[in-house]
Amino acid sequence: MSTGPRQNLAAKDRIDLLQGTLDMLILRTLLFGPAHGHTIAHSIESGSDEVLQVEHGSLYPALHRLVRQGLLSAKDGLSENNRKAKFYSLTAKGRRHLMRESNKWDRLSAAIGRIMRPTES
Amino acid sequence: MRLSRRGYESISAEIQDYLDRETRRNIDSGMSPEDAAFAARKKLGPTARVLEETREASLGILWRWLELLWRDLHHGVRMFAANPAFTFTAVLSLACGAGANVAMFSVADALLLRPLPVPHPREIMTVGSEYHNDNSSVLRTSYPNYADIRDHARAFESLFAYSFLTAGFAAQRGSAPMVKLGAVVSGNFFEAMEVQPQLGRRFRPEEDQVRGRDAVIVLSYSLWEELGGDRNIIGRSIDIAGIPFTVIGVAPENFTGPDHLVQPSFYVPAMMWPRLFADPATLDDRFTPRMTVKGRLKPGVSFSQAQAELDTIASGLERAHPDTNRNQRLLLRTEFQTTALGNRVYTALASILTLLAAAVLVVACANVAGLLTSRAPLRAREIALRLAIGAGRARLIRQLLTESSLIAFAGGLAGLPLAYACILIFRRVRLVSDFMIQPHFELDQRALLFSLAVAMGSVILFGLIPAIQTTRTNLTSAFKAGAGVEIGKRRLWGRNLLVAIQVAVSLVLLTVAAFAANAFRGELTRGMGFRSDHIALMTVDPRILHYTDAQSLRFFDTLTERAAALPGVKSAALTSGMLGTGLSYASVQPEGFHFPLGQDSANIYYDRADENYFSTIGIPVLRGRAFLKTDSLDAPSVAIVNETFAAHYWPNQDPLGKRIRVNNLRWAEVVGVAKNSHYGFIGEPPRAFFYLPYRQGPQGNLTLLAASAGGSASLIEPLRSLIADIAPSLPVYDAQTMEQFYASKVTGFGSVMVEVISAMGLMGLTLSMIGLYALMSYSVTRRTREIGIRMAVGADRANVMQMVVRQGMLPVLFGIALGRCLSAGAGQWLRAVFPLRYEIGPAIYWLMVPLLLSVAMLAAFLPARRASLVDPITALREE
Repeated sequence: MSTGPRQNLAAKDRIDLLQGTLDMLILRTLLFGPAHGHTIAHSIESGSDEVLQVEHGSLYPALHRLVRQGLLSAKDGLSENNRKAKFYSLTAKGRRHLMRESNKWDRLSAAIGRIMRPTES
Repeated sequence: MRLSRRGYESISAEIQDYLDRETRRNIDSGMSPEDAAFAARKKLGPTARVLEETREASLGILWRWLELLWRDLHHGVRMFAANPAFTFTAVLSLACGAGANVAMFSVADALLLRPLPVPHPREIMTVGSEYHNDNSSVLRTSYPNYADIRDHARAFESLFAYSFLTAGFAAQRGSAPMVKLGAVVSGNFFEAMEVQPQLGRRFRPEEDQVRGRDAVIVLSYSLWEELGGDRNIIGRSIDIAGIPFTVIGVAPENFTGPDHLVQPSFYVPAMMWPRLFADPATLDDRFTPRMTVKGRLKPGVSFSQAQAELDTIASGLERAHPDTNRNQRLLLRTEFQTTALGNRVYTALASILTLLAAAVLVVACANVAGLLTSRAPLRAREIALRLAIGAGRARLIRQLLTESSLIAFAGGLAGLPLAYACILIFRRVRLVSDFMIQPHFELDQRALLFSLAVAMGSVILFGLIPAIQTTRTNLTSAFKAGAGVEIGKRRLWGRNLLVAIQVAVSLVLLTVAAFAANAFRGELTRGMGFRSDHIALMTVDPRILHYTDAQSLRFFDTLTERAAALPGVKSAALTSGMLGTGLSYASVQPEGFHFPLGQDSANIYYDRADENYFSTIGIPVLRGRAFLKTDSLDAPSVAIVNETFAAHYWPNQDPLGKRIRVNNLRWAEVVGVAKNSHYGFIGEPPRAFFYLPYRQGPQGNLTLLAASAGGSASLIEPLRSLIADIAPSLPVYDAQTMEQFYASKVTGFGSVMVEVISAMGLMGLTLSMIGLYALMSYSVTRRTREIGIRMAVGADRANVMQMVVRQGMLPVLFGIALGRCLSAGAGQWLRAVFPLRYEIGPAIYWLMVPLLLSVAMLAAFLPARRASLVDPITALREE
């Protein structure tokens, strides 16, 4: 019984972390140019050598949220086989946001790394 | 809706695009097309949830919330339109509940709750010494005391005082005066109330400084309209009691006065009081509590601080004026306390009606809750499907609650005409008077807000539990069996409990209704204890013409003598009070009676009457004698008491020859004992009462009673012209026949009460029978298969019907037992708050329980009959 609340807390933290991280990864992927959802999902997976398993279902809410926040813009276009598809691209605001986030990420991971592996640094 | 659909379609297309691409990718890596499609779906996750979450992300919380609300409403409306019987029953049930509550709220509002029509009404407090009798307690004080309190109190912004009076009013010099109710007020009255006149100005401080100097008047809006609504009225002269007053202002339309039920037609400065009534003592008499004093508490001053200050002032006054202010505490009351304690009968009435209405609402909500749960199995499939494709349970509960709110608001809306009809019935209750003393029953903003609150509250009452239950569906069984889902014992138990509660509450409603109807009818046949026909009445007040007491006496002598001589008049008499309209009370010390410590007198209602009163009105004098013409000022003071007075103050003694002291003045000898009658309202408990001969006290208004041989209506005009002949400019008011008076004041009130209370009782019964019927049909439908099996193995129709009826009647019997206990409690409470002489006796149960049982039997019988007609073969094949 006593572990219940703690477990809940951990689950909550995990979701928060994932959401923020997923947003950053999406922005990073789009740095190379516009793409549609399917491409974004697979390039995150393959870019991380399949270490990061993105739940593809959670990608779309994230994309739409980023659009609403003005970090991405969405445009209907034609894909390679002439099908209508929605293309996402980075806005100027999104670019600035990505810079800030990746700086923050670098500092965070370096700090955590120093704590986890004190001898190696 | 269209925008919303387009949004969904775009997301849907995007997801479809993903699935297509993923499937192709899987096929490219060597999967079969079926496996590829399946793997793609698996990779994406539950489609419905992705769709909803994406939509939510793209809209933001607020818009998403609105969109869902819109969608649920749309869905709900469609569902209700598809189930008209269900919708009709549910909405009608709630309309009854909400309508009854809104109507009763507006009654309680008119009698008790409505705040004074001034800015920040809550700040206004009443200050004064308590004067009470068995059904009211008011705070009053005398003018000199008011002046002292005003000058010493620091806790109030300013204290103002007022007193109501009736006076002859003439718009033009010399025209025949009408009698109007007005208020003498302290100069700061309008300022302290923060009332800005519609026209003209308020009183100036110096206009309430010098006695009799400043004859200025502020008219009420309704009087101004009555006079023609002329905007140039300011500066014009108007006669009050023969004195020319200059109109300085007109009060705003919404300002109906400083008191709940009394609406004065005009306001004049208190300093004009001695001139209005040729009585110089009004402003100097410290003993007689003529003023009501109110004021706004200063910000930051607490109720108890103000009370502490008043205690200090009161003891200061007691030291300075020991003869008049002995034991005179000063109390503080909020406006609500003032109205609630000022008329306990109204308070009791308002609380009884409110509680009855609440009971109706509970039954109605139980009904709708029952209907909703009985729909649960029908909706189980839909709910299960939506749960399966990933809709959250909270989301589904929300949807069900939105549907409930739809019913609630539809019910609330449909309840408004019902409430209005109720209010129209209540408006028939008129206090018989030419004055503006009339509660205003309104279906106003406050009532509408209240109905909204009732609707909201009822959603919680009837919607929440069914919603939670409906969404607790077991997925597999829901899909397996469709409409025949196994519901489990617990839910059925809950529904039985609902029916039991409904039956219990409606039994309480019925017994209370039957009790009230019976009690009032009994009282009506018993009557008030005096003649209710063949009397013409009208009231005059010679003080309006500044008559001295001697002049008044001469006037009344001439009047009764000449009235009795009119053709068709059997006898003529005078009285100061007719059934509560003119009754006053006095502090009385009965000789030889020991009051509890700290009390030296009792406040008892009395009436001033003449020597013909008892025989004319038909109240027998049981012992001793009636008043005589010789009971005049120079003769020894006498009084007549009623039976209750004699029995209470002189038990087992001879009341004749005992003495009572009235208002600390002369001792009067009891010369007669009159039979008890009702003095305030029909059905009141016996109370002590006494009579004084009008010739032995100060003069005032008196009502002339002329007993007629034939119809009394034809006497009114001759009597009017008789009065005009004796005193040409004396206004006559409240002229009517006893029949009219009795019908509106006594029977009118009683029958309206009986109608309203019985209507609520019937509503409760109807609603709970609908509830029972719904439960029975539901349980029969659910058990069709079981019944089929029973019949297949040999049970006959009679067995089946017996079984179903037995099952339906079980909660009813339980409810009756519960209702019996609750009614006993309700009876106790009813007797405690409402001074009726009746009790809920066993007779009412003997009547109500079989009634309830037989209606319940009928509600159970119809579904049982349907059950007995079940064809075993079809029932079993239904799987």
